Amino acid sequence: MDRVVILGAGISGHTAALHLQRQLKNRVDVVVVSPNSNWNWIPSNIWVGVGKMTKDQVTFPLAPIYKRKHIGFRQAKAVAIHPEGGAGTTQGYVDIVYTDPTRAGEEEQLTYDYLIVATGPKLNFAATPGLGPDANSWSVCTAGHAEQSAAALETIIEALKAGEKKTLVIGVGHGTCTCEGAAFEYTFNVEHELRERGVRDLADVVYLSNEYDLGDLGVGGMTFAQNGFETSSKMWTESLFRERGVRAILRAHVERVEPGVIHYEQLDGLKHTLDFDFAMLLPPFRGVDMKAFANNGDDITDDLFAPNGFLRVDGDYTAKPYEEWAPEDWPKTYQCPRYENVFGVGIAFAPPHAISEPRKSPNGTVISPAPPRTGMPSGVMGRTVALSIAERIRRGGEAPLRTASMAAMGAACIASAGTGLRKGSAAAITMYPIIPDPKRFPGTGRDLTQTSGEIGLSGHWTKLLLHYLFIYKAKARFGWFMIPE
Amino acid sequence: MSTYETDTKKVEQMSDVDRSIAEAPLPTAGTLRRRKNLFYQATRFVAFNFRMMKMVTRAHH
Repeated sequence: MDRVVILGAGISGHTAALHLQRQLKNRVDVVVVSPNSNWNWIPSNIWVGVGKMTKDQVTFPLAPIYKRKHIGFRQAKAVAIHPEGGAGTTQGYVDIVYTDPTRAGEEEQLTYDYLIVATGPKLNFAATPGLGPDANSWSVCTAGHAEQSAAALETIIEALKAGEKKTLVIGVGHGTCTCEGAAFEYTFNVEHELRERGVRDLADVVYLSNEYDLGDLGVGGMTFAQNGFETSSKMWTESLFRERGVRAILRAHVERVEPGVIHYEQLDGLKHTLDFDFAMLLPPFRGVDMKAFANNGDDITDDLFAPNGFLRVDGDYTAKPYEEWAPEDWPKTYQCPRYENVFGVGIAFAPPHAISEPRKSPNGTVISPAPPRTGMPSGVMGRTVALSIAERIRRGGEAPLRTASMAAMGAACIASAGTGLRKGSAAAITMYPIIPDPKRFPGTGRDLTQTSGEIGLSGHWTKLLLHYLFIYKAKARFGWFMIPE
Repeated sequence: MSTYETDTKKVEQMSDVDRSIAEAPLPTAGTLRRRKNLFYQATRFVAFNFRMMKMVTRAHH
């Protein structure tokens, strides 16, 4: 029986595991390796971060689901891949170290016939001194972090109620961060909460980002057709900032965070400080710390992984100027070029380049967003690779691989701007394709009939619906596979 | 509106972004009402989810 090892149980890894098991049932041994015991619907962490949901509402234990679906589960982290095998064997294997409290520190070699790397990102707080919940700022990257942020926010709200003025800074903590959308959501959820609690007048809410313009969101901005005009996401987003009285500091790289003070550099090369009472700054991402070794023991980490630690797949990684970036650069099958039984999906695959235009300050500091790989494309990649592998196991190693390029895929993004079934709102955005294609869609790079944005209560309802729908799906309940990624 | 305060130098540095925000279109009272109107939002909910499903279907072919 073929064994498929999946490293990571986030949106892409978990989706791949469920689809593989459904496709092949008892003809495959699927083993998921994840250092976390829980699955987390990350898009709802922002609601945990303002105290509107609990950690338990956005997470659930993985082990019972995998037991019910006959999927192997190791609560462990992968530390090394041996794609050519090792002494006495040519079968690939992975070195794992258990994080399961009952086996903590125990090591195991896990052989595989197919390997899916879906490890997600390493939250690289260390890239910016003083960044992160262990230092001087908060985060909503995990449900635990979000709970801490909610508690800190509550303290600020109590001080505001007592008549004190406070500055709340929300954004990204490094010039190369991604996930500006999450920072945007948290900004407006906090603003909404302050308004609901009657303390908005005493609070200064500041959005701090590496984007060149508001509405860039790491995808180079968007253009919508609205009321007979082509409207930029820049103007659209600025309108929301004006309406809600939120200040923005853009084109910024946070150099360090000291207690109550953020030091940042902007694209013009000038450096500034910003005092704060509450700061939620997302960290930059990099690949998890994993090594790779050839059969003879040679370190091949640099062959398998890009310098940012993400797995190289079938993208075009040739360094080229922004003007020469093309949709064809983006991976289609997510297969590792050197080892055809190794795949990388979700945030774990190395993007060939950014989507937003790259920019540097006169000091050489990179200040531009890394490309986002949100839930919808990550889920589609996980499913696509699962179906490719299932096909190869059924029909033999030469079956054609399925494709799911981000250049041929659309995405829907619901950016919450406040909770409440009657008072909530969200920016509901669709775009197609994710990677702009100026040849197919001259002018804006995207299909104007499928790229849209609107703000309103219905967006909040949609985000809430997706929360319940995707948790239902991830729990592999009746008919889960009918819910598309 | 926010009562953000900062020193003169910082305001100078942020002025282009601030100016751009200040010049952005402000939704009218009618637009703000529509964004909360249950009947209108119910129709937008259906419309957006239909559009999203179309996109999802396309991504899954």
